[in-house]
Amino acid sequence: MTFARVVGTVVGVVRSDKIEDARFLLVEICDQTGKRGGDFLVALDAVGADRGQMVLLAQGSSCHWSKLTANQPIDTLIVAIVETVDESDKVVYSVPGSDA
Amino acid sequence: MVLARVKGTVVSTQKALQLDGLRLLLIEKIDPVTMNGKGDYVVAIDSVGANAGEIVFYVTGSSARMTDTTKGKPSDATIIAIVDLVEQNGEYLYRKSDGEG
Repeated sequence: MTFARVVGTVVGVVRSDKIEDARFLLVEICDQTGKRGGDFLVALDAVGADRGQMVLLAQGSSCHWSKLTANQPIDTLIVAIVETVDESDKVVYSVPGSDA
Repeated sequence: MVLARVKGTVVSTQKALQLDGLRLLLIEKIDPVTMNGKGDYVVAIDSVGANAGEIVFYVTGSSARMTDTTKGKPSDATIIAIVDLVEQNGEYLYRKSDGEG
């Protein structure tokens, strides 16, 4: 899985997936500290992520293993909202306002 | 899924039988901030009826075979949506109704 930041929304009316109320977000790949890398993807949101949040992306056929996306043409899925990341016993990312 | 702009069509007469009747489009990946092409091109199968100049997003890998159009077909890149708008931090980076950009 990959870290990414939610930066916006993508809307498309003509689509070939059959997901009702699908919400596509524009995400920018980032590192474990939340630093953005300049690479953008469109991801289907399965968790209700908001702008600015750091999320985890599942990519490739792994995306077909959620109920929402079984047998759907989806290859990038937001599967989690990240609260904290710790690396070598040091918190390198935490949601602003959390106690971690 | 990756954002791209449809640049043109690819025509092939001699191809895998399962590809018969499918539209092959030449698409260029774009940077959503500027909406400019990145010089990186992909040939993708169209499942939505996209036209030249339109912004689309496409899926790759085995997900490319999950549309009704491409089920059981040897596709590894399929256009699955025509984009109407892209928004970042409350600003529209692209609105189809505005034309280009």
